[in-house]
This record gives sequence, structure tokens and C-alpha cells, in this order.
Amino acid sequence: MANQSLEIRLHGRGGQGGVTCAKILATVYSRLGKSVQTFGDYSGERSGAPVRAYTRVSDGPITNRNKVYEPDHLLVLDDNLLGETTVAGLAEGGALVVNTAKCEDDLAGDLGAWQLATVDATAIARRHGIGTRSVVIVNTTIAGAFCRVLGIDLAVLEETYEGLGFSSNFAAAKEAYEAVCVREDWESRGATADISVAALPEVGELVEHTHSPPTGLLTGSWSSQRPAYMEKLAPCSAWCPAGNDVVGFVRAAATEGEEAAAHILGRTTPLSATCGRVCPAPCMEGCNRAEYDGSVNIRGLERIVADNFPVARANRAPAADARSVAIIGGGPAGLAAAYELARAGQRATIFEHEAELGGVLRTGIPTYRLPREVLDQEVNGILALGVQARCGESVDAEQLGALAEEYDGVLLATGLQRLRGLDIPGAELGGIGQGIEFLHGVNLESAAGPLELSGHVVVLGGGNTAMDCARSALRCGAERVTVAYRRTRDAMPAIAEEIVEADHEGVVFLTQRQPVAFHPSVQDGARLGSLELAEVEMGEPDESGRRSPVVTDRTERLACEHVLLALGQSADLSCLPAGWQLEDDGRIDTGASAPKAAVRAAGDVTTWEGTVTHAIGSGRRAAGLLMVAAGIDVEVFERPDRARAVPATAIRFDHFEKREPALDRAADAAARVTDLREANLGLEDSAEALRCFSCGKCTECDTCLVYCPEGIISRHTENGRQRGYAVDESFCKGCGICVEECPRESMEMIEL
Amino acid sequence: MTIQLISANHASAMAATLAGRANRNARGFGGGVYPITPQTECIELLCRQQFDKGSIVRVESEHSAMAVCMGMSVSGARTFTASSSNGLAYMAENVYAAAFSRLPIVMMAVNRTLGPPWNIWVDHGDTLMLRDAGWIQLYCQDNQEVADSIIFSYRLAEDARVLLPAMVCQDAFVLSHTMMETDLPEQEQVDRYLPDLDLPHRVKFDPVMIGGLDFPRETEVHRRQHQEALERVFDVYGECQDEFEEVFGRRPPDPVVPYCMDDAEIAFVSMGTTSSTTDTVVDKLRAEGIRAGSVRVRMYRPFPEKALTEMLANCERVGVLDRDISLGLGGVLWSEVRGCAPRALVQGYMLGLGGGDVRPQHIESLFRELAASSSAAAPKLVEVG
Repeated sequence: MANQSLEIRLHGRGGQGGVTCAKILATVYSRLGKSVQTFGDYSGERSGAPVRAYTRVSDGPITNRNKVYEPDHLLVLDDNLLGETTVAGLAEGGALVVNTAKCEDDLAGDLGAWQLATVDATAIARRHGIGTRSVVIVNTTIAGAFCRVLGIDLAVLEETYEGLGFSSNFAAAKEAYEAVCVREDWESRGATADISVAALPEVGELVEHTHSPPTGLLTGSWSSQRPAYMEKLAPCSAWCPAGNDVVGFVRAAATEGEEAAAHILGRTTPLSATCGRVCPAPCMEGCNRAEYDGSVNIRGLERIVADNFPVARANRAPAADARSVAIIGGGPAGLAAAYELARAGQRATIFEHEAELGGVLRTGIPTYRLPREVLDQEVNGILALGVQARCGESVDAEQLGALAEEYDGVLLATGLQRLRGLDIPGAELGGIGQGIEFLHGVNLESAAGPLELSGHVVVLGGGNTAMDCARSALRCGAERVTVAYRRTRDAMPAIAEEIVEADHEGVVFLTQRQPVAFHPSVQDGARLGSLELAEVEMGEPDESGRRSPVVTDRTERLACEHVLLALGQSADLSCLPAGWQLEDDGRIDTGASAPKAAVRAAGDVTTWEGTVTHAIGSGRRAAGLLMVAAGIDVEVFERPDRARAVPATAIRFDHFEKREPALDRAADAAARVTDLREANLGLEDSAEALRCFSCGKCTECDTCLVYCPEGIISRHTENGRQRGYAVDESFCKGCGICVEECPRESMEMIEL
Repeated sequence: MTIQLISANHASAMAATLAGRANRNARGFGGGVYPITPQTECIELLCRQQFDKGSIVRVESEHSAMAVCMGMSVSGARTFTASSSNGLAYMAENVYAAAFSRLPIVMMAVNRTLGPPWNIWVDHGDTLMLRDAGWIQLYCQDNQEVADSIIFSYRLAEDARVLLPAMVCQDAFVLSHTMMETDLPEQEQVDRYLPDLDLPHRVKFDPVMIGGLDFPRETEVHRRQHQEALERVFDVYGECQDEFEEVFGRRPPDPVVPYCMDDAEIAFVSMGTTSSTTDTVVDKLRAEGIRAGSVRVRMYRPFPEKALTEMLANCERVGVLDRDISLGLGGVLWSEVRGCAPRALVQGYMLGLGGGDVRPQHIESLFRELAASSSAAAPKLVEVG
């Protein structure tokens, strides 16, 4: 008796969920009161391999247990599978539901004998986020299209999904139900000659088993996607405002040595030894290892690499058509710009009003954080490239105008020179001074002997200047140092480590206090005797999310001998000629004057970002833009887009052993405050570099090779050295396991 | 009762769970389990079940899986495990030991080809390798039968007249991974059907030695007792069917299941899902007026020789469809069935070895070949893969 049941066959690839799709269809028919049977065609089931699944439906009990050779309807989950063996046996007039982005005419073969229905289930499923990182799972989506073609009520499918716990996928199925494109004017044209329903496999004669199974099956023809090795942006590099190849130098330190690492840093920054000491290290904030067992100590690595291998820089003869650029200000932005220009073969001249280059690095940052010999070595390295320095020369508006006629480019990198004061009663009393000026004195006088302070010193502010003032004050004879800040300790803008170090050295923090008056000393009415502080409560958050301080009328007096103001700085633009205007993006609009030079600003004077690393990036970019303006074809540095960085979720943590970060060694807190010797002693060695995940950058770790189920990934050699891997495309089925397993996201599946 | 669209692997796990929970007021339930394709889904689901008394132990090998079952069983627990193919081969020593210790363990075995070279598809050679181990062996034809047979086997195995382990066999993938609507009974029904296990020789408080030393005389006694227990299975089987029908409303199939055998002149004997495919062919041949029939051997051990002999008495031609091969002889089933039809032409065929998809067309061509032959030839290995 001929089998009266309805039979459906499904063709898909391992990982697309074909067997589950067949089960969904069976469940739908079961809900409609039919007897059902459903099973997969189990074989070497692996992602990407062609798989079949079957569903039988009947009004009575089902006794047939064979595979389906003559299906009434066919579902094809991947249009690359369309072909003679796929449509073989499909009953004339049967539904042929194909997951495809192609239009009907582009599908393989003449499909005129069947009720063709097409839907781009992959796109729909991807939009609904169904699947894994490497494989979109289309089963629940295409079932919607099937129901539409077979005239099954969508409500039945919805109930089915509820029963199976697939409700979250129903929206995608509904979309496919609505989007499926069914041939409107369809009328069976009969099977055509060239794609005649391929003959069923014959029932074999009773033969002896003489032939061997086929060998050399080229499984690569199954694939619709391939793995590709690619370098992606590591978060440390993405977060570095100076544009350093952070992951590159850390990996080089781990594999090729510190010297190679120093050379990589030298491509982008002349100030590695400086940044290795004073940088707030945004790279470490971005580091994916922070999500696991603590960021790699990148700042410590930069320091040890730069200290051990200061990059020797030979004078470079400027190019024949070299342009000349005048840089006003020898701080980090100006130095970085000069470095960028000199490395590109241009002539840079720095005008610095102090006696030596360095700017805030020399005048603002205390020597116990940045020893002078470290700074001198880096400045000398820049000068060794042929950069001219004109120290002791201030530039006023008139001179700036003249420079703009003399040079091809002018860069204003003067930093923030205007200091914020405090307009409260008693501000004129002796003993009250600007922190920056105090630091200036300490730093420039330090050769001759430190400035003397005594008694109780109060520092007002919470930024890096405040921390430098507080810690310097301890080293200059203060008996007691208090930092008073109007917000909470968490809200202090200073580098966290600096706050911790200040704490260790005995600085007292008095937060949520606002100065309201200075009071004279009882002994000497002209000198400061005490500071009156009002308590502050934290109010509603402002636009930036910081809670704004609300000053109360509860006050207290703090007896003190000195107050240092560290309340912030602003740009002094008095050197701009009349009619010149500094724009937000760093351009300087020269108005009607139209000088010969392109004029820009860089560093804090325009960005107000306040760190060395930001100033370096800004200086590099401005130098590039000035060169481009002068007609030189160079690549202008652009700060990387952090959103493109490899996220921590893409890192396979379980491939890495947990290891605590190596911390900088600190000099004894009690001993170090007695003089200006360096307080942080850095890392002992560069072994910390081995902790780097190397996000997005292949380390040839062999994980892909080991995990490949086909064993078709091999080490690729070039000139006798291993360089990455080769994938044998004749056999790669595109299963995506290598990509899933890659510990560091340096692989990706690409559509063929 | 709830009807679910599940695979026979999942049906097995749920049936074992129901049977296990039914012993909660006695010594509980447990077993050692170790995964092997195509049985893994069963024990995965079983390991996710909660039991008031007892637990499933995940061990490092099949040999240990059976050892855990023996330990638990001898202390009075109802026990279950599942395995397949080479896993059964590795378990074999303890498979014999379980039977010789007269422990009513129930094992679900998914029939899979032995390797190497490795092949995961259906072939009965693995459990037939254990035919002499002294277990009851049942071979199933559909998902519902797999679930029912597990519950049924506990009742049969634990009967005081039997006290033997039982193996419920099902075809790899064709049953194990195929989903069909399966009626899973309520706990209350299973509680009624399966009384608390009261193993007479269970270890209580006094130390006893189990599996000590036998001299020839003791072994002769033990084998005779074992053989007699297997002979009693036929009677107990019928009682267990009656009670099953009373509680669950459906009757488990007999040890031998005939299809259109009343006046059959030509019949094919088979086991497992090959039988239902054969039935389909019988329908077609009957429509042509050919007096064809089909016999399914559901219980292979103890071997239902009497029932088979009666059933085949009037057949002129008998084909035996083995999904196995005893290398150097022919089909295992054929070698036993040929003694049950002394007057007929008995021809052995081995087809679907290594999991080839046996279709009605294959069996139909064998019917026609057998109908035309005048004498039996050596067993034939038929190619369907």
C-alpha cells in the first residue's frame, strides 16, 4: 500500500538548526491533530556540513521509518545547496521554500516544476540577533515562510513556539511569514529535461562489496563562509590619545625584546620615558584584561622599555623642499609636533619663553615624578633630529604676525597660562599663592635647593596640580599638608595613583569643603592665620553627570600658614594679533590678514584636556595638518575610534591563566618625602608584557590549528619564518569553530 | 498522561525516571552513566532529573557504569544505565557479572555498529554480542514501545520468579533521535504498576560475600537456576502484559509479533525497525494476492523458540533479515530461526549493516527473490547503504 503520508524534506547546513526546523514543522502538524515523525540525517554532523532532516505527517499511525526520498515539499536553508541532488524526488507541484537573498532567476537550475517561495531568512534572523557570533540560525525564521506557503495559520506557529520555548523567535518568523515571496502566476511547467527530477537511488542488486568508499571528498564546496585572519584594533591602542601602537609595543616587548618595543613607541612619540611616568594611562582603562584579572601595567612597561632603550635619533637632513614651521611653546604638544615634522623631513623651530624646553613637564611636574635627566634625554633626542630651539624668547602678537609671514606654518602650543584665583575676603594676605607658581619655583630652583615652606599648608583643588603641590609641599618642609576639595574624593580629576601616593605620604584629604574667607594671623595681621571652609552637599547631577556642589552655611576655621591655589588654568590668547580667532577645532582664523603661513593651535591651549598624552596626540595631528596645508602628502594622525576596539566579550578568557598584574615598585613613603628623588621606581623587568591578551592581533598561538575539526589549518612560512596560518580552502566547510575559539578575536568569518 | 513530541532517547530517560521515582518508598533509584553516541541524549536528560532518594553517578567508563548499577542494585535500589556499541563491549565483563549476580538492572542499549573504523549508525551486532550474558533482551520498533518497555522491563526483571537484568534495545537514530508523539504515563500509574523493589538477596546489615568462588558443582547449579529463571520469563511476561494493560490502557507486544501470518506461505523474520518496514511491504504484496507475512522477534532472550516454531509451521519459505553478522557464519537471528522452521526453505539475508537505510523496495526485492528460489543458499549480504 502506497504511503499516504505527507512528507517534507529539509536541506541545510550543520549549525543552521535544520533538525529543529523539522521538529517545529512536526509540532505544528501535531497541533493540527496529525500523527507526526521527525528526524535528522545524522552523519559526521559538523557546522557547515550539508544536513538533511525530515518530517512525516499522517492521519493514521506512521510505520514508515525510512528517509524521505519523494518529498511533497522541500525546504532549503542555504541556496548554495540547490541542485539536482537537493530537489531529487520532489513531487511536481510541491512547495520549494528557499532561504535566499537572490532573486528567482539567479537560483541554480530550472525550478519551474515547483511552487517556488523565496525569503531572505538569514537577513531576518540576523536582524533579530538569532544565532552565534559565527553562524546565523535561520530555522525558527524560515518556519514562518513555510507556514505561509502551506496556508497554515500563523497563530498555530505562535502557539508552537510558546510550547517549545521559542517565543522570542516568533517575531522573526512572523516577519518571514509576511516577507516570503511566492511565485504569483505559478503554474506547473512540468519537469524540464536539464534538471529532471534526478532518479532515485536504485535498489541495489545483490552485489559483492567490492568498491571502497569515496576518498578525497572536497568539503570546501559546502561552505558559504570562510575564516579570515585579520588585525583588529586593540582597546589599549584605541584609547591612547597619543596614537601609540600600544598592543604592538607590548607584544614586541614580550616576543622580540625591549629594544624592538622602544622602536615601535618611537614611531609615534618622543616622550615615552616621560609618559611612562606621568601618563594617566587611558590604555590601562581600556585594557580588556581589566575585566579578567587586572589591566596590564602598560605605563610601567612603557617606562622600562624607554629607560632601557632610549631611541637614538640621528640628525635627519631636511628634504630639499622642506617646509619651515614655527612652534610657539616647547611643552609636550610643541615637542610632539616638532618631532612629527622632523621625522617627515621638515624644519621645525620651537620658541620657548623659559630657558629650556619642556614646558609644563619642566615647570609643573615635580622632579620626584619626572627626574630632570629623563626629560633632558628626551628633549635632546628631539633636538638631535635637527629641531631648532629658541629658548628664552617670548612671542607677542606682533612677533606672531611676523612669524606667520616668515614661516610656512605656525603652531601655537602655549598651554594654559592664565591661573584661576579666588575672590573671597582676605585673598590679599601673605602666605596665599598660586600652586603653579609654587611648583615653578620648586622645579626651577631645585638645582639650587628647594623652596622652604613651614607649618600647615592647605592646597585648594583636586586635580593633578593640587596633588603635585601637596606632595611637593611635604618635600619643602611643610609639617602638615591638607588638600581641601569641594566635591567627593571619587570626583577628583587627579590621576588615581597620585591620590593614593599622596595619601601614603601623609596628605590629609578634606573633601566637600568650599573656601569662603581667609583670616589674618593673630601675631601678624598681614599674614594668613586661618582658612574658613564651608561644608558642601552634593546636589543634583549636571549635564555631564557630575553632581554639582551646594554650599551650606555651616563653616569651620582651619588654622594654617600657607594656602596654595590649584583651581585650574585657562588659555592666555593675548599673543594673537588683532582679528585672529582661535576656533574650536584648533584652526586659527587669521581674518583679513591672510599671512603666508597656515596657522593652527595644538595642546591644552585649544583642547584643555590637560594630560601629556592628549597634548602629544594634538601636536602630532596639528603638525600633520600644517604639512598637508603646505602641500606635503603625509598621513595625518587621527585619534582612533574607541567604538571599533575589540570588546572584552570577544576575548576567550578561559584560554588565559589568571595572573595578578606586576605593580610599580614604590620607594619607602616616609623616606621619600624628605627629598625630591623619584618616588616610583617602576617595574623590575618587562615580564608583565606576557600578560597581554594581544586583542585583535594574532600571536600564532595555534588555537585555530588545534581546534580545526578538519585539520586543514597549517602554519604558513615565508622566507623560512612562520607568518600566520594557511587554511586549505578545498576542505574548509566554513564551520566557524576556529573563529569561535580564537582567544583574541584576530579572526572573522567572511561571506563568500 | 501527557503526549510529547520527543526522541526515543528522551522517552527512555523519562520512563527510567518514572520507574525510579516509583521506588522512592523503598531503597530509591540510581545508576552509573557514561555517554556514547547515540545514547548521550538519554543520560543527559536523566542527569537533569531530581530524585528524592538516590542519584545518578557520572563515572569514567562503561565498565564502572555497570559496576555502580551492581553496587546500588545489590543494596536494593532500582537501577538504570544506558550504553551502545563499543561502550557495551567495554562494559561486557560487568554485563555478565550483573546477570550472574541476579540483579534486576534495566539497561537501555542503542544499537550501533561496532568499530573501528567508526560508524555511529544502527547495527544489532553490539547487543547480540551480549546474547549469552544471561540478560532478558527486548528489541523495539517505535518510540512508544521504547518508553513502555523500560517500565515493563522493571516489572518483569524484578519479579521474584525472574530476578534478572533486562536490556531494552532500540535502533540508533531511526529510533534514538527520531521524534514522535509519545505518551508518557503519570507517576501515579507507574507507582501502581511497579511495586517497591524488595530484592531477596539484598545486602542489609550482616556482611555477605557476593561473587565469591564456585567449584564445578556450584557452577552447574547456578547455571541451571539461571536457565530456569529465563524459562519462567515466558509466563511472567504474560502477567506483566496483563497488568500493564490494566494500568496504562495499552498492551505491550508479545515476545513474537506476527503480521498477516495466519495463512502466510512466505514470511520474513526480523527485529527492530526493519520489521515495520517489512509490514509495509507485506501490505503491498497482499494487495497483489501474495500470501506474505512478517514476524517480529521482540524478545530475543530468552529466545521464543516455541512461539516462533508454531508461527512458522505452515510457511514454505522463510527469509530472515539480520541487521548484524556473526562473522564466519552469517546472520545471528538466522542461525537461530532456521531451527524453528524445519520444513521450510530458510534463507538468511543481512541488510542495513552499518546503518544503511532499509527501504520497502529493498525488502520487496528480497521477497520476490525468495519466492522464486527453490533451495536455500548461503546467507546473503545485501547492499543498501
